[in-house]
Amino acid sequence: MGGDELAHQSAKEVASRSMRQIPIKEGLWTVPFSAEEKPRLIGSRCLRCGEVYFPSKAYGICVNCQSRDIENAALSRNGKIYSFTVVMQRPPEYYKGPVPYAEGIVELPEGVRLQTLFTDCNFDDLKVGMDVELVIEKLHEDEEGNEVIAYKFRPATRSKGGAD
Amino acid sequence: MAHLREVAIAGVGLTHFDVYDGDRGRLFKEGYELGMEAVLNALQDAGMEWGDIQAAFCGSVYQNTGSGHQALDQIGMTGIPIINVENACSSGASAFRLAYQSVATGLYDIALAFGYEKMPRGFIRSTAWPLWQRYMGFNVQPAAYAKESVRYAEETGATEEDFARVTVKNRKNGSLNPNARFQKEVTLEEVLSSRMIAKPMRLLHCCPLADGGAAAILCSKGKRKSKGKKVTVAASVLCSGVYGSLTGGSGTAISSVRIHNDLVELSANEAWEKSGCGPEDMDVVEAYDTMAPGELWDLEKLGLCKKGEAPGLLKTGALNIDGRIPVNTDGGLMSRGHPLGATALAQIIEIYKQLRGEAGARQVPGGPKVGLAHSMGAGPNSAVTILKR
Repeated sequence: MGGDELAHQSAKEVASRSMRQIPIKEGLWTVPFSAEEKPRLIGSRCLRCGEVYFPSKAYGICVNCQSRDIENAALSRNGKIYSFTVVMQRPPEYYKGPVPYAEGIVELPEGVRLQTLFTDCNFDDLKVGMDVELVIEKLHEDEEGNEVIAYKFRPATRSKGGAD
Repeated sequence: MAHLREVAIAGVGLTHFDVYDGDRGRLFKEGYELGMEAVLNALQDAGMEWGDIQAAFCGSVYQNTGSGHQALDQIGMTGIPIINVENACSSGASAFRLAYQSVATGLYDIALAFGYEKMPRGFIRSTAWPLWQRYMGFNVQPAAYAKESVRYAEETGATEEDFARVTVKNRKNGSLNPNARFQKEVTLEEVLSSRMIAKPMRLLHCCPLADGGAAAILCSKGKRKSKGKKVTVAASVLCSGVYGSLTGGSGTAISSVRIHNDLVELSANEAWEKSGCGPEDMDVVEAYDTMAPGELWDLEKLGLCKKGEAPGLLKTGALNIDGRIPVNTDGGLMSRGHPLGATALAQIIEIYKQLRGEAGARQVPGGPKVGLAHSMGAGPNSAVTILKR
């Protein structure tokens, strides 16, 4: 790599460091205060019927029992794949990430199923029942060059263990 | 509940389902022209004049404001109420239900239900998902069905070949339907080697798009003018979102682990109750095959067979036109194509024709007496219509 290219490379790095990270939507996951802490998805739990929802219920109403006795709940970072697919064709609007992409439904121990993208995986290895864990990472870059970040799940790293 | 009057179908009309874009030698037609054409065909079939119609309900999704008005103002402006109904892919069945209700309750003696669509090209665009979920790539219709197919395969052992057989059967039936967009058969190999869209859904598992219109005129007892066998509406049911139901292509509905409800089961049970019929009485069925495997779990959820039995019935020919439970005799969405506002009405019209013995080359033998049409729609919605003669 020549000197010019190196200079160009480092300029790009500086640019990427100064790039703002913007969540795809506020309030989907917790933002940790320290490096040891990890983000968790924010759901809702109904204190009357016990149903758990993701995303959290913005209007504070349980759609199962209509109770308003509902609170936010940080959800488990680990779950299992309930179902999945690999989309091979670019959607006509909105989605700007790579294609093909894997998306599906993950079941969390709290008893909620949620729709998610899958990352860090070989598409052929995805299976119903596979252990997966939460990650927050880039979804796409917006027009101003900001990095739009989103929650995704990836095959769980076994060694970490950890009861969460 | 109020006493409901008997409601009969006075006449029906369809357009040829096709792509009317004027390209490559194809005809060009505006959406509203397709609606008009279906209505004029239904009037002719019913032996009625526009002046006989007392109310009109029009199903559509992409046709802008006043879709019904657009189609009817070149036929006659008689001051009757025109109601435009958008209920995604179940719009036509929802319009039918409103026409049925208005006659059954005695508000009108003769009402028109119709629907039409000129479809935008490509994946069916749905704005039923919140914007951030669309940016996440969650709103791809074939992907929703793909995930339901993966679950279905996991729970029943169904295979990709089973899914492909639905397309093969329906395209074979469609080859006997002069109104279908696709009238050419396909082989199992062609389906299984077609382009992957959303694993395990391939191009030939997806129903094609089409532009088209469909119309049915409903009337009270003694108002029918057409000849031939009388067909009455035994049930016209619509159920919308129920918590705990995972339904394909239905926006943000994700099932709970703890609570199980199923929208299709709910609507079918209500239809059995209203009609006094059971699944065993059905002589002909239009199931919802927007994606091929959907037909399989649809039949099971409707109660026409037990869970996991549909692939076996399909394989042994029980779902063929001459089988024990003929399903999608006109080729279904897979052959007709899918003009959203017209689709559910086209299903009902096929049942009507089968019960009247007017289905031509695809006529179910033995004189079917009772039939059912089921459509789904994003929202979600599930509409079940049972016709009897």
